[in-house]
Amino acid sequence: MALRITIDIFSGRPNPVLILEGPEENEALDRLRPESELRGRNLRPLPSSTLGYRGLIVEQSGRATRGLPKEFRVANGDVVAEDFAARPADPAFEEFVCGSTGPIRRIRREPDLSEFILKEIKRLDDLRDWWKPKRPDWPRRERCRCAPLYEPDWWNVQPILGSNNCYNYGCDYRTDTFAQPGLAAGAMYTALTCASVRPAAVADDLISSPNANNRCPREGHLAALVIAPGWDFHWFRKGRNGYWSHKPGSTPVTNLDNSGVTIPDPRTADRGPYTQFCTFMVVMHGHIKIE
Amino acid sequence: MATSRSSSDGDWTAGAFVFSGRPDPTWRISSDVAAELVAIWNSLVPSDNTIASTPALGYRGCFVVDPAERRWTAFHELVTLSIDSGSEKRRDDERRFERTVLASAPVGTLPASFFA
Repeated sequence: MALRITIDIFSGRPNPVLILEGPEENEALDRLRPESELRGRNLRPLPSSTLGYRGLIVEQSGRATRGLPKEFRVANGDVVAEDFAARPADPAFEEFVCGSTGPIRRIRREPDLSEFILKEIKRLDDLRDWWKPKRPDWPRRERCRCAPLYEPDWWNVQPILGSNNCYNYGCDYRTDTFAQPGLAAGAMYTALTCASVRPAAVADDLISSPNANNRCPREGHLAALVIAPGWDFHWFRKGRNGYWSHKPGSTPVTNLDNSGVTIPDPRTADRGPYTQFCTFMVVMHGHIKIE
Repeated sequence: MATSRSSSDGDWTAGAFVFSGRPDPTWRISSDVAAELVAIWNSLVPSDNTIASTPALGYRGCFVVDPAERRWTAFHELVTLSIDSGSEKRRDDERRFERTVLASAPVGTLPASFFA
């Protein structure tokens, strides 16, 4: 049995770790014993990712004891874990560990490490007074409710990977035939130009939407046709999160452009040799036929 | 995984990962080029490197398949031989394997603008 305490404070360097055993472990566990449940306004949010001190990560090596989870975090006197939040018997547990006479004295690093950490504990305490959890804008927010999810793993396996191209992916329609615009309708493109590929896609019942201006349609999803003049065509599709992704030929689906950045608008993305932006088109699910 | 197989056993096919909408171009390679590629492969040293990151669009590497379905893929300084039982990577600092494959493409097959 031992108690492993990681002082979660650094970013580049490894965090200091303390192992408490025997009487020291028992004393620590007694201090951490939950006294009252934290809920509602008493439970201040704890930033999951901030620079500087983020709490003590406590892990019990044997069975969980004293009514504590096997692993938990202590931050500003709060003991928190998934579905668990309590005030311990000693709300100053962190000062006990990190104070100049506490177990931290065994760590032979900077002489003022204890002082630094105590200041950081206070900084985190102040931060938690005003910090509010904020949902990230991306990828969770659904900007295009009818658009397909970005699920590259579904496409990036054989035989799907090698036998479906940008048109399949852009239409969210697996055919395993390396689909060609217009082929299903007997009206395949005759030249690798916007003027030839666009009507071929319309023949497949995609809806030309040159004025879509990167806005999601009410139904279906938005696709974009670009051309490498004389050589090839390429399709992007707008996903549910509002960002675009694509499948370059027989290679894996990606949400990055040629510069390695995400794609908020295919008109401004780094498209390599596909220099001509042709048009936006709407794909109505169940209403198109490609092959 | 050294190989000394003669190219006279059947057709060797080469191709390039270059297009997105159209099927990628493939072409047959001559026995002389096949023998040259085998010689290059046999001269390369093993590598643990992973393939250099390829651009999303444009040229993304080339490949060769021999009559026994052994498949070499090359992109920049790395050549990988894949067979049923596994794969082996070798370093090609001068990109001789890749250049030889691409040089064997019939005129007009590969768009120069895709290699920028």
